[in-house]
Amino acid sequence: MMDGAFIWETFLRLIVALRVTLSVWALSVFFGAFIAAGVAWMRGSGVKPVEWVARAYVFVFRGAPLLVQLFVVYYGLASFPAVRASIFWSFLRDAFNCATLSCALCTAAYQSEIFRGALAGVPHGQIEAARACGMSGFLLFRRVIFPIALRQALPAYSTEVISMVKATALVSLVTLWDVMSVALKIRNDTLVTYTPLLVAGAIYFVVNYLIARAFIFIEQWLSPHLRARSA
Amino acid sequence: MAWTTALGFGERGWGPALLEGAVLTLLVSIAGLAIGAVLGSLVAWSKLSGVRVAAAIGEGYAAIFRGLPELLVVYFVYFGSSAALTGLDHLFGGQGFLGVPGFVAGALAVGVISGSYQAEVFRGAFLAIAKGELEAARAVGMGRWLSFHRIIAPQVLRFALPGLGNLWQVALKDSSLISVTGLSELMRTSQVAAGSTHQPFTFYVAGGALYLALTSISDRVFEFAEARATRGMRREAH
Amino acid sequence: MPESESDSYALTVSGLHKRFGSLEVLKGVSLLAREGDVISILGSSGSGKSTLLRCINLLETPDEGVVTVAGETILMRKTRDGRSQPADRRQVDRIRSELGMVFQNFNLWSHMTILENLIEAPIHVQKRPRAECLEEARALLDKVGIGDKANFYPTHLSGGQQQRAAIARALAMRPKVMLFDEPTSALDPELVGEVLRVMRSLADEGRTMLIVTHEMGFARDVSDRIIFLHQGLVEDEGPPAELFGNSKSERFRQFIATERS
Repeated sequence: MMDGAFIWETFLRLIVALRVTLSVWALSVFFGAFIAAGVAWMRGSGVKPVEWVARAYVFVFRGAPLLVQLFVVYYGLASFPAVRASIFWSFLRDAFNCATLSCALCTAAYQSEIFRGALAGVPHGQIEAARACGMSGFLLFRRVIFPIALRQALPAYSTEVISMVKATALVSLVTLWDVMSVALKIRNDTLVTYTPLLVAGAIYFVVNYLIARAFIFIEQWLSPHLRARSA
Repeated sequence: MAWTTALGFGERGWGPALLEGAVLTLLVSIAGLAIGAVLGSLVAWSKLSGVRVAAAIGEGYAAIFRGLPELLVVYFVYFGSSAALTGLDHLFGGQGFLGVPGFVAGALAVGVISGSYQAEVFRGAFLAIAKGELEAARAVGMGRWLSFHRIIAPQVLRFALPGLGNLWQVALKDSSLISVTGLSELMRTSQVAAGSTHQPFTFYVAGGALYLALTSISDRVFEFAEARATRGMRREAH
Repeated sequence: MPESESDSYALTVSGLHKRFGSLEVLKGVSLLAREGDVISILGSSGSGKSTLLRCINLLETPDEGVVTVAGETILMRKTRDGRSQPADRRQVDRIRSELGMVFQNFNLWSHMTILENLIEAPIHVQKRPRAECLEEARALLDKVGIGDKANFYPTHLSGGQQQRAAIARALAMRPKVMLFDEPTSALDPELVGEVLRVMRSLADEGRTMLIVTHEMGFARDVSDRIIFLHQGLVEDEGPPAELFGNSKSERFRQFIATERS
């Protein structure tokens, strides 16, 4: 079980599969951010029906387990002849696309709440001061609201990004060959239980650790105003 | 078969099965949360105790389980505990494979993950209790056990409720992963029904709707509990 | 509208009314400020002093009344449900850039250094060249006495220093009128003096200033005129000597008696 060569071989095979894991992760977080921005904007639009749609979206995609969402998109949509005949089918027939789409929709719900909280947390006085200088509209957003909100959102955003890495393990259940599914395959083929799972665990752990460090670095780089000043 | 029939309570309807699955989901989530509460309090206590070794172990446990995919933990606990049980059985001369029931493995997995987050909730809740109240208890002559279960424990619960409410929702969703062990909770039942009736959309959406119902009901319950628990507590000035 | 009359005034306000829900905070307030006037607005809390100031630069929208800054009247219109609204957003932005406001809580932008705070609006709102704004900003910081703090962040400065920076930021816009909303109320007592000193020097320079304050001594020494607001109306108005000496308002006499601490 603790055979060095086997561990190394397992490690190599899992690293190859890491590409799938990271692709799903990166694409879903990236596109999810744009969807989230849209949802957050809808939430704050002031138009009641639009707000309601946004709230419903967040409720559904945060309240239902990701696994259910994945299955609805991958298995559920494919069961409709209408879908298979449509222009979307060339996109949806591919498991990778379905999985990424589903993950993106899910993370968008969480990200939109982070954005909403961050925007609400911008000190009102600083916005007033900007208005009092004659700033408004996009200028006000670009120079004052967004920079402050961004810094406030970073800790929660880092947590969500790392959550998504862990969430991608579910794509193993919709036929993708990510780290999780390759580890299981190795286990099934060799009947060695612990090693493949431990190596996979180690890989996920290191990836998450690196992402966490990266965010800490970004936070420090963006917030010299929060660091203690050496008099 | 029309989806209304498929979901219904008739002879070929999966309605009852889905509801049973939902109940099982509830039960395994409660079990998981309870295990998590025990582990979480232990870790919180280890960090608060000031004993370096204990705190390090606690930190390590929390760091590990927060950095691992939940699905991986489920597999690890399920296969791992089954392998361990089989090994134990072989030690006593048994043969063949002994599997740990999905419910147990599932609750353990959810619990172990939940515990790593609950530790922070309990630690924060404990620190939020005004130091003065503890000193007052000592001053009146309350011993450690008495001050713990009359002053500390009730208040920790009060402060921990919001965080626990959140973690409960997480446990509910994580429980869907236990489906890979074959346990007939809500997710697995939806899967079986979808396969049997060839109506995946119907059953996965229905399953999702049931999860959402569980979420909503839980929200209300926790709102009510928080309102009762914070009776008489000073409201933050707005 | 007799343009020639308001032309000679830096700021005119006439018949300002403001309601918050069912509470009428301003019940018809008017004031005139000539160039170089230093006007202190006094009154107990709830009298509407801050609201008056905030209506001038449209941080609050007056329900009725006319505000004219340097001869330009702010155009208002009524919405469908009868509420008042500025008619031209660009005019509002432009007029705001001619008014400098100093807030009770400083409101410096926390993600920018002091220097960046000062040049932000001149560059992005007034579209002035960066080099010019930088030079002027440094000079202003020296003037208020924190020239060495240019590259510091607001959180690293004391309250008094932050407020002086905020004053410099308002000055960087080359405003026609400066509005001060209780500038020293949030400061520790020992820091109040440094801010008042800066404000006094501005008054000596001949700046047009409207100051809402609780600092009686300062108001008395520095102002050309005092306006006493009570429950949304001007109770009394006039030069400090007259008001502090023998005001015709009983309430004002009571007010200064209780404020004297």
